[in-house]
Amino acid sequence: MTPAAFQYARPQTVAEALALLRPGAQILAGGQTLVPLLVKRAVRPDLVIDLNRVVGLSDIEVTSSHVKMGALVRLEQARLSPAVGAELAVLTAALVHVANPVIRQRGTVVGNLVANTQGAELPAIAAALGAELLISFQDGRTSRQHVGERIPADAMATHVLWPRQGGACGFKEVSRRDEHGVVVCAAVSHGPGGLSVGVWGVCASGLACPQLALLLTSSFPGVPELSDLAATLARDVAGRELHDDGHASATYRLAMGAEMVRQAAFAMAGCR
Amino acid sequence: MDIAVQVDGRQVEASVRPRMVLSDFLRCHSGALGVHIGCGQGVCGACTVVMDGVPVRACTILAVQADQATVQTVASQALLEGFTGEGLTPLQAAFREHHALQCGFCTPGLLVATSVFLRDNQSPTHEEILAHLNHHLCRCTGYANIIAAITSVLP
Repeated sequence: MTPAAFQYARPQTVAEALALLRPGAQILAGGQTLVPLLVKRAVRPDLVIDLNRVVGLSDIEVTSSHVKMGALVRLEQARLSPAVGAELAVLTAALVHVANPVIRQRGTVVGNLVANTQGAELPAIAAALGAELLISFQDGRTSRQHVGERIPADAMATHVLWPRQGGACGFKEVSRRDEHGVVVCAAVSHGPGGLSVGVWGVCASGLACPQLALLLTSSFPGVPELSDLAATLARDVAGRELHDDGHASATYRLAMGAEMVRQAAFAMAGCR
Repeated sequence: MDIAVQVDGRQVEASVRPRMVLSDFLRCHSGALGVHIGCGQGVCGACTVVMDGVPVRACTILAVQADQATVQTVASQALLEGFTGEGLTPLQAAFREHHALQCGFCTPGLLVATSVFLRDNQSPTHEEILAHLNHHLCRCTGYANIIAAITSVLP
């Protein structure tokens, strides 16, 4: 299979990459989401801007409040990073489930978050922890935005900022088979800012669950009954469109969402 | 766009369109017919090659991205295994001994990926071998013989 024709640019700096941005352009980082879409012609950019030779985007930096990852930090690089293991244990736990080791060698953390694909685990973690993408604009401005928000055509994500967690965490998912096609997953993390919960697969995008976080906090380190978790999850998703597709019904996803939160909470209790 | 890629120790220079994927480049421009194209979406593992020391799916990388890179296919299997003898490498011999292939379509990707897997983890557990094979589709063997072959080369 061959993609539709496009032009290709290989900038060396973020400034050069930003200068190339225009409607119809597409950023390429790891390419593990984009290239399969290109060959299926599901996307047809007229310009592909390859970031892979941009200097300075491959670092994982721990600041006083955040773990900052550049747009070229590979999934496997993040999984094996001792700094990530110490400060973002929930991310390390989840990365084992992302795609497979060969894809993880190329795919990037920021690319995974920007693609925000159905069946990706990291958006659930990002929602749970309140991670933010650092956005650079052509006119020199920078801003932060949450995963799932549309990135303007004159801007690109250069980094992701994960609030440092340390502490205990849990991550569980139900998938059609290991490392393939996650149906529902849940992340629970107990950091300095309190307890946070994220669920993916119940709604159309990653969902932070403040009500569940309150419930888990009130019973921590114990774990609430499944029925209480299910009722609370229902309150967290109130007003949102539930996800329902050929892989699983909305009812199943809601039930399994509560169960995954329960299992993640047990995992978190176990690693206190 | 003009690119230069070192493929199995040979410098290959070609002018390619940006939309060409690496797996097509390896087969069409460098004669690396050991790179098999299965799903074309990074799922089946048949096109796995080693690029600058890292295993990658050649179908999910554009050929232009490999400019100035070093690529090793199954033709470099002896090098990948660090084997300096004559004939089949230990892994190839084990695959033959244990009937770990039938049609052979998945085999080049499996050999390349397994050599890197064993380079990074010299004593994998049975579960780790299963997890490794989870990312390679083989429709013939049912995997049992592939597991036996890999297990047989462990120290």
